[in-house]
Amino acid sequence: MKDTVRFEPKIIGFLCHWCSYAGADKAGGIQGSYPHNVKIIRLMCSGRVDPLFVLSAFEKGADGVIILACHHGDCHYKEGNCRALQRHSMLSLMLAQLGIEKERCRLDYVSAGEGEKFKRLISEMVESVSILGALQLNL
Amino acid sequence: MKIGIYFCNCGSNIADKISYTAVVEAAPSFPEQTYVKTVNFICSEEGRQQFEESLRMEQPDRVVVAACSPRDHEATFRGCLTNAGINSYLMQMVNIREQIAWVTEDPTVATEKAISAIRGAVYRVRLQQPLERKQLEICPDVLVIGAGPAGMKAALSFAEAGRAVVLIERTPFLGGLPVRFEDLFPSMECAPCMLEPLMGDLLHGDYPGSIELITMSELVELTGFYGNFNAKIKQNPRHVSLHKCIGCGECVAVCPAITHNEFNFSTNDRKAIDFAFAGVLPNAPFLIEDACLRSNGGNCRACKDACPLGQDVVNLEEAETVVERKIGAIVVATGARLYDASRIDGLGMGRLPDVYDSLQFERMLSSTGPTGGVIKTAAGLVPASVAIIHCVGSLDEDHVPYCSGICCQYAFKFNHLITSKLMNATITHYHRELVVPGKEAFHLFNNAVKDDNSCLKRYSDINDLTVTPDEKGRLIVRAKGDAAPADIVILCPAVIPAEGADKLSVLLDVARDSSGFFRELHGRIDAAQSTIKGVYLAGACQEPMDIRTAMLEGMASVGYTLAALQPGRIIEIEPINAEVDDTRCAGCHLCISVCSYRAISFDIEHNVSNVNAVLCHGCGTCVTACPAGAITGHHFTNEQIIAEMEGNLK
Repeated sequence: MKDTVRFEPKIIGFLCHWCSYAGADKAGGIQGSYPHNVKIIRLMCSGRVDPLFVLSAFEKGADGVIILACHHGDCHYKEGNCRALQRHSMLSLMLAQLGIEKERCRLDYVSAGEGEKFKRLISEMVESVSILGALQLNL
Repeated sequence: MKIGIYFCNCGSNIADKISYTAVVEAAPSFPEQTYVKTVNFICSEEGRQQFEESLRMEQPDRVVVAACSPRDHEATFRGCLTNAGINSYLMQMVNIREQIAWVTEDPTVATEKAISAIRGAVYRVRLQQPLERKQLEICPDVLVIGAGPAGMKAALSFAEAGRAVVLIERTPFLGGLPVRFEDLFPSMECAPCMLEPLMGDLLHGDYPGSIELITMSELVELTGFYGNFNAKIKQNPRHVSLHKCIGCGECVAVCPAITHNEFNFSTNDRKAIDFAFAGVLPNAPFLIEDACLRSNGGNCRACKDACPLGQDVVNLEEAETVVERKIGAIVVATGARLYDASRIDGLGMGRLPDVYDSLQFERMLSSTGPTGGVIKTAAGLVPASVAIIHCVGSLDEDHVPYCSGICCQYAFKFNHLITSKLMNATITHYHRELVVPGKEAFHLFNNAVKDDNSCLKRYSDINDLTVTPDEKGRLIVRAKGDAAPADIVILCPAVIPAEGADKLSVLLDVARDSSGFFRELHGRIDAAQSTIKGVYLAGACQEPMDIRTAMLEGMASVGYTLAALQPGRIIEIEPINAEVDDTRCAGCHLCISVCSYRAISFDIEHNVSNVNAVLCHGCGTCVTACPAGAITGHHFTNEQIIAEMEGNLK
């Protein structure tokens, strides 16, 4: 019986106020459920996501982190999402060195209208982190 | 610390999935002293009253509102806190409706998730600080750069609204490019009849506000920010006093020096001291220093001596001056020019005397132009055939990638004017694409299509077209197997940004797009605003456009400015912004490089960065970029964000 209990990961989602957070609201508006595992932290811009927040999330018990930004060219602050992308690339290298699978920290893009895409990304993220299992930090 | 948690049932929207009693039971496990209250429909009038009354009674130090999305009602509830005498930034909202109740199947799971999110908000809110909106006085006066259609419309409208306007213009005259035209598409309206009343009003109109026109001038330095700019304007010498000159032209008559007439794109000559054209406004000549005999060491003073108004109208020794003006906002209306058609060598521009670009041809059509409005070849003959080549350099990766959108319309205007001036001339349009948008442009297009002497030929690559003289010197236009004579060839080049747009964009810190036009804050919802607060865009400096659109853009820039820049109004600065801690800043400039709003400047004396709160948009990118952790993102501090995660993950 124990084997059939699904692992429920804890995931932190950093969403920007203008696009992806609005996309998450849109997902609510169109009803229909998605996995509950992602705890949403609203920031004004994905450019505010500090790699330290991601490390801190892992340290405080998160099994995964998903950063959702505006699509390129749509950033409310013009290029904050480009900074997010740069920082995510850098962070991915660092996470690899720490032995943290890259699937545990994902960056993607959701517009204010993409409620369905938001649901799909959350489901995919939860699925992939569930497969990886709980994060074991060997710091 | 006492934290009040307010739980909205939102009717059944939230209550169906999330148990209020479970939240009440969980509250004792939260840090600090908390209380939980429920309000049904907290956003309703009654709900807000209940909320405010409760806040007044309980006097909590911090407030958590678990309800809908903060995108819906954060401002509403902040207002409630303010009404209850609590700083509105001491509240955190939890979105338990859109992001939990509506999207989680199982009520137990939804309730657990809501409790985690509320715990996160409690962790966060206890670190939140009261923030105040700082207030700043503003200067309601405006600088308009460029006196073409957009700039003139803007300046006049500002004056009508009672504002003081400083209108600076690079050339010695008003009117921009259209002042060179005789007739306008799409209605063949007389251009001077349309523009002259506007220009007259600019110079002598009776308005509640004032217009200070500074011709032959340019912006050379801009400091300050929205509401409080300081502009330095360089004025080049006209050598003729605009205040004293009455425009009689006695000085012009006696001037012995001749030079190219740039107003007519060097298609004829002028005196060193001369009017730009007959009927120019302001009605005064100007002296071209390089053409004056004095520039070569001569001591001619014929113009000065000829002036019937005395010796102090013409000032041969006048030097450039720099004036300073304080303004609150800037409208950029610097217009456009034509792409240099000589860069497409096969068309003969600049090499063959009977090949003209469209602006040169506009001057030939004008009664104040070099031929007095008569269409004739360089040899003075009446042309029997005319070729009009559209899309010169447009829609072409080797030149400019876009369609200028106005060329077809003036090309069909040319068609109309040529057929009415030269009854028997044949006209051939060589076009790559045809663009005649809107409700009026098709008239001129139809005229050309129906005219027996006019025809349209399509080409696919401008390099397939060549213009060469035959053995008798007559021009032949060749297009892939087709050859047709043309006594006059008119080129319709792409419209590109005016000269100096690059320099101005640096002075203003305003971004330009890949084509060199000034970039809008948003191409659709804020197309008359630049990327810098307080700098507005109007007319063809943004993209190629016709006079109608330029005038509308001019008005739009006025609308934006008047809506924001009210006399006596205080600018309130949103406190969600970034602030540098001087003691920790290492002076690395990284923050400056990531700021999209040029809101961060560097204090060389103290070797630290400074954030200008007026310009800061509060995105927090610099906060994250700072390697020394010297920048605080107010209301989104590292500590607050990490605390929210921690509470959520507990």
